[in-house]
Amino acid sequence: MSGHDFHPLIKQLLDGDITLADLPAELHAEGEAALRLLAAVDRTDVSMPAVTWRVMAALERRRRRFLPWLLAPALAIAAALVIWLRPGTPPPSAALVTVRFVLVAPEARQVSLAGTFNQWDPQATPLVRAGTTGVWTATLTLPAGQHQYAFVVDGARWVPDPGAPAVDDGFGRRNSVLTL
Amino acid sequence: MIALVAIPLTLLSMQQAGRGVIAQRLAGRVSPQIASLVEELGAAASARGLPIDPLIQKAIEGNAKGVPRERVATALRLVAMQLDTAAAALRDGGGGLVSDTLAIAAGEFAITAGLSRSDITALARTGANAAALTVGLRVAGTLAALGVPPAEDIGLVSVALRSGEPASSLLLLPANVQSEMAKGVTPAQAAAGLARAAAAQARHGPPPGHGGGHPHPPAPPHP
Repeated sequence: MSGHDFHPLIKQLLDGDITLADLPAELHAEGEAALRLLAAVDRTDVSMPAVTWRVMAALERRRRRFLPWLLAPALAIAAALVIWLRPGTPPPSAALVTVRFVLVAPEARQVSLAGTFNQWDPQATPLVRAGTTGVWTATLTLPAGQHQYAFVVDGARWVPDPGAPAVDDGFGRRNSVLTL
Repeated sequence: MIALVAIPLTLLSMQQAGRGVIAQRLAGRVSPQIASLVEELGAAASARGLPIDPLIQKAIEGNAKGVPRERVATALRLVAMQLDTAAAALRDGGGGLVSDTLAIAAGEFAITAGLSRSDITALARTGANAAALTVGLRVAGTLAALGVPPAEDIGLVSVALRSGEPASSLLLLPANVQSEMAKGVTPAQAAAGLARAAAAQARHGPPPGHGGGHPHPPAPPHP
């Protein structure tokens, strides 16, 4: 920082907002001087004292000596994390598909959707009643693949989707199947 | 000498890691007794190269539905048995597909839907790669769930797999069958009609403007 305070138009010139031609005649000389000064500063080499290079080189050598010792445990931890996390990691290439679920249940007070896509949580995906018609809907974006699901009516009754194929759930009920 | 010690230790640590994953996914979702059974069945399944995800999903589903513990345990043992059957069916089909856990899980679904070990073997013998076969098994299971009898089901999916249909076309088969059923035909007639059309197309090429089948189906969807 210098103590010199430039005219506001000169500052704009140095910032590149205006050109020399935009300056009034009385500021031309000052503008040219300011630009020469700026060019001189840009060309100046910034040299570091020799001692700095010696310190930096010493630090670099020290860092290189420690590198193998740091690298080995880091690789071991990374490998362990890969083995640990691999089974639960979703495939990165799975495409997403938007699906609309519909159930006609005029008597229901509340309807939700539970399935493999929400860990069978009956509270996770509520359906919305469309007006007073008894039609309940929910629109979800799901990963492509196969999903099993059921509607949960009034928090207790598990109902398969009447419009979808269904399979035995192993507990005496049926799960609907959605293949995307 | 070091390898003799290191290999069993590595396998043991991976098995422990598998148990850790199961415990982590089931934490707070199922009773400790069911979690313990899933860990036991999962460790045995992993040791035989079988997937553990169907076991975890079934345990969570049973708990969410408020199913009694004994019944969940029975269902879990059935899933483990079906995974074994699916793996054996793929082994019978040859081609080294038995090591693909996604294909085994898809085979387990097909069995749940009503197909048999020999049906899965028949699909494995089409020569489809693991990715295409995984989609084929899922689609065959869905067709079975729609009421298509095994003979017509396997016939239709086999034709599609042999002609190298891309996964996107395979996935359309259930909707195509449903669409034919809506016209008043039975599931068997719908599947047989589509199989005949697909076979004719494979012999004579696609109709003008429909492009050819992709020789290398893309990766299967992952449930």
